[in-house]
Amino acid sequence: MASAIDRRSLEPWQDPQAEPYVRIERVTKKFGDIYAVDDVSLAIFQGEFFSLLGGSGCGKSTLLRLLAGLESPSAGRIHIDGVDVTDIPPYHRPVNMMFQSYALFPHMNVEQNVEFGLKQERMPRRERAERVAEMLDLLKITELRQRQPDQLSGGQRQRAALARSLAKHPKLLLLDEPLGALDKRLREHTQFELVNLQERIGTTFITVTHDQEEAMTMSTRIAVMDAGQIIQVDTPTGIYEYPNSRFVAEFIGSVNLFEGKVMRRDGDEVLVESPLGRSLQMHCPHPLALGTPVAVAVRPEKIKLCMDFRADAVNQIAGVVEDIAYLGDVSIYHVRVGPEKIVTMTLANIQPRTEQALTWGQEVAMEWSPTSGVVLTD
Amino acid sequence: MAAPVPNRPVRDRRLSRIVNVGLPYLWLGLFFLLPLGIVLRISLAEPALAQPPYTALWEWLESGMVTIQLNFGNFMLVWADDLYLVAFLNSLRVALVCTLLCLLLGYPMAYAIATAPERWRLLLLMLIVLPFWTSFLIRVYAWIGILKANGFLNNFLLWLGVIDEPLAILHTQVAVYIGVVYSYLPFMILPLYANLTRLDRSLLEAAADLGCRPWRAFLRVTLPLSRAGIIAGSMLVFIPVVGEFVIPDLLGGPRTLMVGGMLWTEFFSNKDWPLAAALAMVLLGLLVVPFVLMQRWQQRAEARGS
Ligand SMILES: Nc1ncnc2c1ncn2[C@@H]1O[C@H](COP(=O)(O)OP(=O)(O)OP(=O)(O)O)[C@@H](O)[C@H]1O
Ligand SMILES: [Mg+2]
Repeated sequence: MASAIDRRSLEPWQDPQAEPYVRIERVTKKFGDIYAVDDVSLAIFQGEFFSLLGGSGCGKSTLLRLLAGLESPSAGRIHIDGVDVTDIPPYHRPVNMMFQSYALFPHMNVEQNVEFGLKQERMPRRERAERVAEMLDLLKITELRQRQPDQLSGGQRQRAALARSLAKHPKLLLLDEPLGALDKRLREHTQFELVNLQERIGTTFITVTHDQEEAMTMSTRIAVMDAGQIIQVDTPTGIYEYPNSRFVAEFIGSVNLFEGKVMRRDGDEVLVESPLGRSLQMHCPHPLALGTPVAVAVRPEKIKLCMDFRADAVNQIAGVVEDIAYLGDVSIYHVRVGPEKIVTMTLANIQPRTEQALTWGQEVAMEWSPTSGVVLTD
Repeated sequence: MAAPVPNRPVRDRRLSRIVNVGLPYLWLGLFFLLPLGIVLRISLAEPALAQPPYTALWEWLESGMVTIQLNFGNFMLVWADDLYLVAFLNSLRVALVCTLLCLLLGYPMAYAIATAPERWRLLLLMLIVLPFWTSFLIRVYAWIGILKANGFLNNFLLWLGVIDEPLAILHTQVAVYIGVVYSYLPFMILPLYANLTRLDRSLLEAAADLGCRPWRAFLRVTLPLSRAGIIAGSMLVFIPVVGEFVIPDLLGGPRTLMVGGMLWTEFFSNKDWPLAAALAMVLLGLLVVPFVLMQRWQQRAEARGS
């Protein structure tokens, strides 16, 4: 039972009084005719672990580079820690960045690379050596400290780059796909270490990632980007459970979209007429005009097998199992419910697979509750 | 590549290996080692009024014996006579100063070209290479017209009122420096340009991100990473300038004696081929030793990692 105050300090974006640490105001970056970043506004708070998620070329790296000062915006202002840094060069910003290409100095070994930023700020030698050792240890590259970057594997290079960007204990750390080249175990370990480190040194992290699972596990909030614009900013739960558009719903996890039109409104519930031949009843807090084209989005794991199928029951559909993917803990079922519509349903394998009732070609009925999905207009 | 290519005859491969390995060695032997041997042999002879103008290396005696005559006197003379030492030192000094000047002038130019917008680069490179389309000799002659007492430069300075009477530049060391730097600058710029265009821009961004001002980023990142280009350019300038003959001959004066001029005098005026050959051998030694040392040093630096 967290009190309102607790909740506010844990989720500063809920608090209208909270001062954001990073404030991006209507920033646009054009390269020739391309809008790499298109009128983006964001407020990121002290101590957040903020992720930018989006497809290739949607402008994630450009947004980070704008924050680092490596690009200057075509329009808009950027404030960090209450200071307008829009015109401040990168070497005077309290920001460090881990580059997507790592950008390790090829003429220096790992240790010298990590030490580079500390030397620039003229940290005393003893302290510097300690900090370097701490960083090398943190990223498990102490044995590699004498190696040149070209003598490292991709994952080792990534860790060296991460160590270098962390070494100065920056107030704001920008990470461009920090864990992309690590294997699964090391990635999970490093995710954990990153979050730990962040809590210890109080750094605000902004990361770019392709990997939605990574974004979900590490982030306080996620911004989903497309074509230079931010489509939705929310907590991982918010993004997953309450996507604001078809794009976000489809980008994060998998989803079943049922296209239709609003047929009737009844308090917080709407009835959506769908081409499946049945109307779907969903919870929807926003007022929607009758006849609005919408999509009902339901996640595969929210769909249950239905034991007593009735033609007039709420959100029940019948279909034929067409495909089963067994993943161990869960199985994914593709159920054909119409000539052009396949519903994806995930069921936990509570029983051993061999005893599972569902097989190919079997007729099943499925259902979900009106609060298990969202109604999307965008 | 341990496994042999299956359907290719062994003889074929052996032939291609002989050609691949043999041809460069043949070339080296014919056009480098053989002439070098001849020069070495001449340097060990004595001058003679004959054709060719030096004594034979060996002689058949009546008794059927062979006498081989090696004359180390030329090397002793080169060592003993101050004149030659002065010429060598002068050559090395001119070459060193000019290499440094070329580096100081050429580095910013190469850097500017390498960082210029793509569409400008080819044009700028063309401008660097353009002088090669005119004969070297004519370009050096042109400098006489510029530098002489009533030449272009002096007239211009007089007109400006900077000087009251013409400066004596032609036939001085300064004229040699000007001519050499002008002529050899492209040899410095081209390897530097080739090196600097390969520099990854994101390294400079990383340096800036870690707190480096542009100038420090240059010193700590760009400069060390362009070391190979600096070495290559310096070699390309230094080595030919040590033996340079035309520029000091045309632009220099009596006090700008260099090894090239010395060689010319000994060969053509004094007809002392053996002495000239000995000079050439010493010159070669002076150039090869630092080169080998340099290469060693570089290899060791690379072994340390680079
Ligand atoms: N220096 C540049 N000049 C011209 N166009 C650029 C430049 N940098 C980026 N762009 C363009 O801007 C858009 C966004 O690029 P950006 O690198 O930010 O994408 P990204 O989201 O990081 O993609 P990825 O996930 O593949 O790294 C792309 O269309 C890209 O081609
Ligand atoms: Mg990117």
